[in-house]
Amino acid sequence: MSSPVPDPVRDRQPIPAAAGPSSPVPSAPARAPFARVLSGIVPYLPAAVPAVMLIIIVVALVHASGFTNFGLQFFSLHFDPPVDQWGIAVFLIGSFLVAVPALFFSMLFGVGLAVASTAYLPKLVTQVLDPFVDLLAGIPSVVYGIWAFIIVAPYFGSTVEPTIHAYLGFLPGFSGPTQSGGTGIMLAVFILTLMALPITTLLIRDSLRAVPKDLWESGLALGATRWEVVRRVAIPYARRGIFSAAFLGFGRAFGETVAVAMVLGSATVLPSSVYAIGNTMAAEMFELLDSAYGNSQFLAALSEMAVVLLIISLVVNVVGRRFISRLYKEQVAGL
Amino acid sequence: MAADLSSTANSILFDRSARTVWRIGFDRWIGRLLPLLFLVAIFPILSLVYYISEKAVPTLTWNVITSTSPYGDHLGVAIVGTFELYLFATSLAVLFGLFGGVAVAEFLPESAANWVRTSANLLVGTPSVILGYMGYITFCLYFGWGLTFEAGAVTMAFFMTPYIFRTADLAFTSVPAPIREAALGSGARPSQYILKVGAPIAFPQILTGIFLALAIGVGETAPIVLTTTASVLVPQNLHSPVTVLTALIWENYAQAPSTGLQTIAFQAAFLILVIVLVLNVVVRVISTIYRKRLEGLYQ
Amino acid sequence: MSGTGLDMGPVLSVRGVSVRARKVERPLLDQISIDFAPRSLTALVGPSGCGKSTFVRTLNRMVELTPGLRVGGQVLYLGQDIYARNVNPVLVRRRIGMVFQRPTVFPISIFENAAFGLRLVHESNEEIDRAVAQALQRSGLWEEVKDRLDEPALSLSGGQQQRLCIARALAVRPKVILLDEPTSALDPAATQRVESTMETLKEDFVLILVTHNVGQAARVADRVAFLHSGRLIEVGPTADILERPKEALTEQFITGRFT
Ligand SMILES: Nc1ncnc2c1ncn2[C@@H]1O[C@H](COP(=O)(O)OP(=O)(O)OP(=O)(O)O)[C@@H](O)[C@H]1O
Ligand SMILES: [Mg+2]
Repeated sequence: MSSPVPDPVRDRQPIPAAAGPSSPVPSAPARAPFARVLSGIVPYLPAAVPAVMLIIIVVALVHASGFTNFGLQFFSLHFDPPVDQWGIAVFLIGSFLVAVPALFFSMLFGVGLAVASTAYLPKLVTQVLDPFVDLLAGIPSVVYGIWAFIIVAPYFGSTVEPTIHAYLGFLPGFSGPTQSGGTGIMLAVFILTLMALPITTLLIRDSLRAVPKDLWESGLALGATRWEVVRRVAIPYARRGIFSAAFLGFGRAFGETVAVAMVLGSATVLPSSVYAIGNTMAAEMFELLDSAYGNSQFLAALSEMAVVLLIISLVVNVVGRRFISRLYKEQVAGL
Repeated sequence: MAADLSSTANSILFDRSARTVWRIGFDRWIGRLLPLLFLVAIFPILSLVYYISEKAVPTLTWNVITSTSPYGDHLGVAIVGTFELYLFATSLAVLFGLFGGVAVAEFLPESAANWVRTSANLLVGTPSVILGYMGYITFCLYFGWGLTFEAGAVTMAFFMTPYIFRTADLAFTSVPAPIREAALGSGARPSQYILKVGAPIAFPQILTGIFLALAIGVGETAPIVLTTTASVLVPQNLHSPVTVLTALIWENYAQAPSTGLQTIAFQAAFLILVIVLVLNVVVRVISTIYRKRLEGLYQ
Repeated sequence: MSGTGLDMGPVLSVRGVSVRARKVERPLLDQISIDFAPRSLTALVGPSGCGKSTFVRTLNRMVELTPGLRVGGQVLYLGQDIYARNVNPVLVRRRIGMVFQRPTVFPISIFENAAFGLRLVHESNEEIDRAVAQALQRSGLWEEVKDRLDEPALSLSGGQQQRLCIARALAVRPKVILLDEPTSALDPAATQRVESTMETLKEDFVLILVTHNVGQAARVADRVAFLHSGRLIEVGPTADILERPKEALTEQFITGRFT
């Protein structure tokens, strides 16, 4: 995949083994005596840090879970610790119920924002506006949580949800009773949209910027409007970056813990409408670890939930990063 | 002009067919409406900053910030706890991240390096609650440290290491190839190159990486809450319980307003917001200076 | 093609066009006036940075896409100033097409590339099929691609891609085609094919070809215009300019290139 973004690793030329006839540098690895082999390995060791950390995470979770509860039961809807029922389906479904709509909205807004700043707005304006989106990534999730719980939730309960209920109540899922407190699926989706937005916007913006200028111009030279070039040339060209944005944005929303725990209502029931309360795997794991103290089966069940969450986020990240051609993306938390 | 021959041939320049009017109008309106989407980002930020300041600032006195007395409404304990815990965690993370990043950039063959880089990326993409579980299972239970300062700090170090690792790697791989080759070609040993040539060039970028990791880490809640116990005292030693600002928010956000505890949560939220914002500004400033320097190198 | 009396006058008439960049003292283009007659191929030559690209980009208002450039003067297309307030650049570009230095095929199929401009205006599928086939024939690409129209355009060779870009520009039936160094990224064989395509196209279109290669101008152009430092130094029939230039600058440039 060629990308106009410079990639330091790929661009770097290999260093010639023998650096010219004038420099008498011995090619160290080849002539090293056996005793020096060990010291030859040492510099490589620290490089394993991330791999080792990943292994520790997997081993710890698997060890604690002991695969005690795995089986069909584990994916049932019945979660009730006092009677040893550890079905996680309620939380698994809950996670998708908030993450998927949040992803939808953050992609919708992300594409819109990225198109606005790459195709329509002058560079000077973009330089002022884009940082606001990036700033969303810097706000800690617990701060989002307290703001959403204390400030936004009452507004949702008193105004937003009744309004939506009045207009969209005929749709399935929008009919149920609204909660006066305002916490629930809709508020969680709102917060997660904000939290995923900087990631999706950044990745889409970057991939639209990578569309060659010539290509934009040839579209316009054929008498297309800017929008037509965006839709028929730029977005198809940038589709891989957009694909990545969707996956990594989803990963962010799916794994978010504290903010969701604060606004979703922590209910072990399947939500019956968009106004209902519920819970996600991440938030449930976070809230219940306390209660698992001294109860090895409880801890095992929670750790298994953690394994499921880990597998899903690993898959999402592996797929999502396949098309990011740059070495790393760092400007935004969670990338 | 209508009778003019050329204007009939020119009709396409003045095409007002429904289709054309729609195409051009649509483009124009999209161009006007899309920028309004920035309100989706700007409005929540303003609302969040405004309301949190409104709830926190009026009662945020100097005494509230600095007093570490175990009695009463103050943040001193959490501020000291945050400072000490993150100092500890950052030091560890810098140690591991820096050595690791340099080793990947300078020593590891490309194929192995890509595996390691993938792991670092995956760690960054791992939900923080999982890091908390890892810390709880490994440090609190398996190592028997309990819910203590040390367990929290090491868990946070775990969380922050991949960020620092990646910037260190990136910083050393982006040392301009001619400079690197000149140094190594003139007979410098790799270690000499790293310390004398690479480090000065890579330093600013690594510094931004450290501040960025700190900015992200200091806003984390789940790993800390899962691996420490709250305390009304500042940490006495590594085995003490400890309270950090984010944990303070988590514990108090849902308390009845009349208890005053919710105000403490807002004050902590305000402080953490300020800290994160300042760290982000620092990152931007350093990376602007750094970019100028790197551009200078390429000239 | 139109069969009206239009053939008499110039298709494109440039009247005192200047382009200035913000904060730059010297204009990028300085009071250029030149006419382009129907069925002609004018080659624009000049040293690098003299303003050739800027000039052709003023002819379809592409220059407006570069922030900070200001255009003065008039560009009359069949007597109508394309910079007039009530003229939309989107429509101008349907009459005055453009081909770029590097092939710029879109990441879609060969057919969809050629049909791109037509799809924008809702032509019927039969019309699009016909226009695409015709455009591909005229650009000399039809025989090579007629069995693989659904393949991605990026699977074509560089020379084929460039001819596809020409076909794409032809398909919307413009009157003028601007070609900005269309062969500079191609190998000699591909260059030769593009040159012969240009020679057949000048039977029906106004072609304006930017080239840094005086030999190419000699091979395909009816007329050569020499640009230097943003000024039009000299314009005339190819043979006159290449063999008997009036201006010393022109002579220096041409001899410099030939020796
Ligand atoms: N946006 C701009 N602002 C200021 N100066 C510009 C701008 N764009 C181009 N120029 C200058 O205008 C001059 C003409 O540029 P142009 O690209 O038209 O030259 P050219 O004849 O096509 O050159 P080449 O043969 O290299 O393609 C150059 O000196 C260039 O530096
Ligand atoms: Mg040019």
